[in-house]
Amino acid sequence: MKTISALGLIMALSGVVGCGSAVMPKELASARTAYDRAAAGPAASLNPTDLHTARESLDAAESSFKEEGDTPKTRDLGYAAERSAETAESKARAMKAEAETAQIVEQMHAATAQRGKMTSEELARANQQLASKDQALAAQGAALGDEVKRREEAEKRAAQAAADIAKFASIKQETRGMVITLSGSVLFTSGQSELLPAARVKLNDVAKALTEQDPEALMVVEGHTDSQGGADFNQKLSQQRAQSVRDYLVSRGIAADRITAEGFGPSRMIGDNATPEGRANNRRVEIVVKPKAG
Amino acid sequence: MLSKYLVWMLAACPLALGCSQSWPEPKQPLADAEAAARSAREVGAESQPAAKLKVTLADEQIAQAKASIEKDDNERATYQILRARADAELALALAHEQNALNAKQKAIEESKATLDASTPKATP
Repeated sequence: MKTISALGLIMALSGVVGCGSAVMPKELASARTAYDRAAAGPAASLNPTDLHTARESLDAAESSFKEEGDTPKTRDLGYAAERSAETAESKARAMKAEAETAQIVEQMHAATAQRGKMTSEELARANQQLASKDQALAAQGAALGDEVKRREEAEKRAAQAAADIAKFASIKQETRGMVITLSGSVLFTSGQSELLPAARVKLNDVAKALTEQDPEALMVVEGHTDSQGGADFNQKLSQQRAQSVRDYLVSRGIAADRITAEGFGPSRMIGDNATPEGRANNRRVEIVVKPKAG
Repeated sequence: MLSKYLVWMLAACPLALGCSQSWPEPKQPLADAEAAARSAREVGAESQPAAKLKVTLADEQIAQAKASIEKDDNERATYQILRARADAELALALAHEQNALNAKQKAIEESKATLDASTPKATP
């Protein structure tokens, strides 16, 4: 307001009074309108400094009009006052926009930070799940390795047992299964069904081989004789011999429900009963190992 | 500031006899008006229609003021410079305002993009 006071004083001292008409110039009218609009808008709260400058400019124009009327000076002052009010308004709008921009940026940063936090939590969770899966896979791998090792060892033992059996028995793969053929003379005294001590040693190897084989395979011990002697005797002898071998194998660890015994007498000869060699081949015990059906 | 210029003008007035003689040459006000117009251009007034109009008016009035000074009509020059200064300052303010509005629009678009990126997409 100092400027306004100075204006009045200076105008009075310089004697510049009453030089123009009393009709208000449009510049001054526009300046009043512009100032009123600015004072009612955001400039009042956001930009009071420039609004005050606009007020001073308007007051200068008003004073000029009051003292001199519609002169070029009044019109120039009115023109400048209108621009001054518009400047205050424009600056206030810019301040408002800048404040809103700052708010938007702050919200965006907060949203980004929140997203980053969520991503970190998700990453930690995913890492934990991966670690659990890795652990489970490692355990499975170890178990698989153990199983493979066990199987390899079992196969090795089975191969060794088969090799041992092959020293005193023949092993053939037939449609009815694997057939282990033991000579009757190796196992029994003639006409007897009691196992010889040497036969027990050999059957130990057989039992060992059979336990290493498919644990679910079923076995049949078949007794066979030559044709010499009575048929009933031979039938009974073959049954007893098969049963002796079966019982011994059970005593060596073969599950009793997996192995049966059956006597066939001379009915299934594999050699000529007319020759000593043929008869020796016919006197035999066969162990048929049948893989589990299905 | 325009108010400073008003004080300068009013102080110059009593030095003149009848406000028409021995009016001091408005060298500093002219320099200030030219500086204001230059500032307006520097912040992009010429690329914004409203601001461009004001800065053009300022230039024209500065040219007229210089012509008045040539004719030793310093008083007329002083008021022409007052107009030029007012137009140049308004041009500067309008250019600043447009820049602020552009920055706000950009922030809105970036914010929207950020929000879209952080919103999980529905899987078909």
